[in-house]
Amino acid sequence: MNNPYLPYPVRIAEIRVETEDKNLRTFKFEFLNPEDEEKFAYLPGQFAELSVPGQGEIPIGIASSPSEKGFVLFTVNRVGQVSSYMHNMKAGDIMGIRGPLGHPYPLDKLKGRNLVIIAGGFAVTTLRSTITYLLQPEIRPEYGKITFIYGARTPGLLLYKDEWMAWEKRDDIDVFVTIDREVPNWGYKVGFVPSVTKEVCPPPDNTSALICGPPIMIKFTQPVLEEAGYQPENIIMSLENRMKCGLGICGRCNVGPEYVCKDGPVFTLAQLNRLPKEY
Amino acid sequence: MSEYIIKQSALADFFKSLANGRRLLSPQGVGDKCKLEETAPEKVSLDFTNTHMSPKSLLFPQTERLMAFHNEHDKPNGYVFQSALDSGEPTVVFGIRPCDARGLSIANKVFQNDRFTDPYWKGKFDRTVFIGLACDAPLPQCFCAAMGGSPFGESGLDVLAFRQTDGLGFKALTDKGTELLKAAGATEADLAGEIKSLEAKAIESQGVKPNYQPIDNLDLMDLFKDPHWEATAENCLNCGVCTFFCPTCHCFDIQDENSERGGVRMRNWDTCMSWLFTVHGTGHNPRPTKTERVRQRFMHKLKYIPLKQDGVRGCTGCGRCVVMCPVNIDIRSVALKMAQTAPTPA
Amino acid sequence: MPQLSEITGKIRESAKKLLTSGQADVVIGYRQGTVPMATAPFFARTPEDCDQLVWSNFARVNLANYLSGRPGKVALVAKGCDARSAVGQVTENQILKDNLYLIGVPCTGMIDNNLVVAKEPRPISEVTETTDEAITVKGNGFSTDIKKEDVLRRNCKTCVNRTPKLANELVGPEVNGAAADDYADIKALLGKSLEERMAYFKDLIKDCLRCYACRNACPLCYCPICFVDETRPQWLGKSTDAMDTMTFHLLRGLHCAGRCTSCGACETACPVNIKVREFNRIMELTVQSNWQYEPGMSWDQKPPLTMFQTDDTADFIK
Repeated sequence: MNNPYLPYPVRIAEIRVETEDKNLRTFKFEFLNPEDEEKFAYLPGQFAELSVPGQGEIPIGIASSPSEKGFVLFTVNRVGQVSSYMHNMKAGDIMGIRGPLGHPYPLDKLKGRNLVIIAGGFAVTTLRSTITYLLQPEIRPEYGKITFIYGARTPGLLLYKDEWMAWEKRDDIDVFVTIDREVPNWGYKVGFVPSVTKEVCPPPDNTSALICGPPIMIKFTQPVLEEAGYQPENIIMSLENRMKCGLGICGRCNVGPEYVCKDGPVFTLAQLNRLPKEY
Repeated sequence: MSEYIIKQSALADFFKSLANGRRLLSPQGVGDKCKLEETAPEKVSLDFTNTHMSPKSLLFPQTERLMAFHNEHDKPNGYVFQSALDSGEPTVVFGIRPCDARGLSIANKVFQNDRFTDPYWKGKFDRTVFIGLACDAPLPQCFCAAMGGSPFGESGLDVLAFRQTDGLGFKALTDKGTELLKAAGATEADLAGEIKSLEAKAIESQGVKPNYQPIDNLDLMDLFKDPHWEATAENCLNCGVCTFFCPTCHCFDIQDENSERGGVRMRNWDTCMSWLFTVHGTGHNPRPTKTERVRQRFMHKLKYIPLKQDGVRGCTGCGRCVVMCPVNIDIRSVALKMAQTAPTPA
Repeated sequence: MPQLSEITGKIRESAKKLLTSGQADVVIGYRQGTVPMATAPFFARTPEDCDQLVWSNFARVNLANYLSGRPGKVALVAKGCDARSAVGQVTENQILKDNLYLIGVPCTGMIDNNLVVAKEPRPISEVTETTDEAITVKGNGFSTDIKKEDVLRRNCKTCVNRTPKLANELVGPEVNGAAADDYADIKALLGKSLEERMAYFKDLIKDCLRCYACRNACPLCYCPICFVDETRPQWLGKSTDAMDTMTFHLLRGLHCAGRCTSCGACETACPVNIKVREFNRIMELTVQSNWQYEPGMSWDQKPPLTMFQTDDTADFIK
């Protein structure tokens, strides 16, 4: 019988420190058993339980794109017991990943539409996956205009620098990166995500927004989009709650009748408007 | 499916036949010691009210080992989890009450949901046959009928047994149940009329049924936002007794424990009454006070589960939480308050 | 022998006066339970609410449990033990004395439902109680009279402080306490070998579910995060492992040393009927014999284990 609690064993192939405060590290995992990589078939927006034997598990969004073969990427913030332990692990160490879990962003339903992708802080992970996926030559033509808005408090807290800088140079995606306050030699935008969104977000016609960020950013970005004429059905968000099983069984991550792990983490604002704000 | 009888004089052989090649479990002990235990066929008793705790631990033990690992870096399987799924013995449960069987069938839809199957639960579920014993004399705290069940309820059972003047009557509800009865030499009989009248009598003994139906039609957010929750939760101690005793409460925590040469991952019953249950790594807690936690428990039972399980309520009316709650928070009173929620004008 | 209705009347009268005069924002008392042999804590905020307040032989919950950190002015219906716990809440700085009003009920003890069921095992659907000395339990085709002294909780049998001496008012005539608790059982236990004692306690808690109802029902357990719930570091495993369970009970016993008023709330709340107070009673005896201290008997005396004094006779701390 398939056992969804049992993690696939993986080897840490590489650890990259992402931010200057060193609180965020990106882990590149390789599956010990190549057939497990096929079983771990995922889409952007899904997450996995990172599983450290003897320490526990943490649910983390998948940062790599299904188009990137041979490895999976997760960016981990040092918060609790498992993440702190992981920050002390090194390349070559063995651990586990369990998934993919949750539903992806509904990219298949968004074909032919324009996308505005809004990220705040380290919640950019699954949106990195999304953009990497969308920018594949055979996928990109299936979508309209793509706008990417990404903010962090300081330049040193922005993830995936090489990548968004490369995206910026392309003509098939508009990239707006912003920090909270002006610093010397900063060549990009300054200001909070909601105000940058107000300034640059495309008209709502045939456009969907994907948002992932801290609650405070979402709280203030949502009204900006609604004022701009976006319908709640076209505002798509990813939620976080404390999780254990990831399978809709252990009971703690529910928002009303929906489990963030099994029925989410991706919800439209229209769905969330009908649910308790217990997240 | 059809009905069968076994006369008093043949009951001993019936229980022997049940135990043939299977583990036979039945309620043993009295009062707070009454629980499902492995039972010798001659020790099966029909004289019990119900087990002190719900029978859920049979399929979902309070502590259950999920997997284990060795911490040897140099071995090929070092730090790789190996499943602790066991095969277990075929089991027959005799004497589970219809409320509790219904509880297990509700939990079963969570453990085997639309996307995932819990193999630890499923293994035990599949190898167990449930023979329920109908309640001809429900207890004062029982309210299964008000919650949509019945003292002669069939949900979750393979066979429903009930007392007759001379022995037991049976209604076979699944193929597994029919086979078992045939193998035990039960005689086919038409008992539909008898069951109907016994059931009506048992339901009547539960008194006037309060009407919880408005909850089914009320909007989720209206129920959630109703101002009564603060008063409803005010005397709650946030212990977890209601959740530990509830036949449908199924929440758990997953924990790793280490020893010298390795470790295990296990799951333990958890409770939504606990502050820790939902707290984020950042310290943010979506259900920060007991008001939110108490609301969660009752909304889960009476609104969320029905929304996900075709209207079936997550409370089976077994009455355990009602009598066990140290501060007498009574789900029947809470359900009535919920039923009186004023809907937001459209 | 006071009628329960008399005491109920006086509680309601006092509660109404306190709420009307603004001396209290809330009166915490008991209302009739929804099942036989139960009351429920009740929070009266208006004079009309007060008509739901009752006195009963089943008023077991220690309402001082609701005091810690509560804002505003609170009046509490308190038995002897509860009043001592409330005083403890003041001496431990959980609530200001000026914000607390104790409606003291001289108490002749509360009933242990398990003992009633032992005497009358048939399903009980109704209980009548008119005095504080006896009850009548009824069910399908039976009616049985039971004397309260035969079904008292064990902490009530040995209670020496039945009249809440520090209460702002008493709503009934003073009652004498039982003969002094001689702790004979505990002394006998302490006389046994370490192995025997360990075996005794292991057996005592073998059914423990780790539901923590004992802790949550206890007015002493007001820590915002209990050590069993700490995650960084995590002190205890979460399974039903016997050693973890034992550690919880031992540490809780120690945390309550010199603070426990033998209210019995823990044992009443325990869903599997563990005699949780065995741990506390050992500590009670220890504190009494070392410091001649009884908790909750004075507004300004602190529990001995929470204080350091330079003339402390113990040498372990120097």
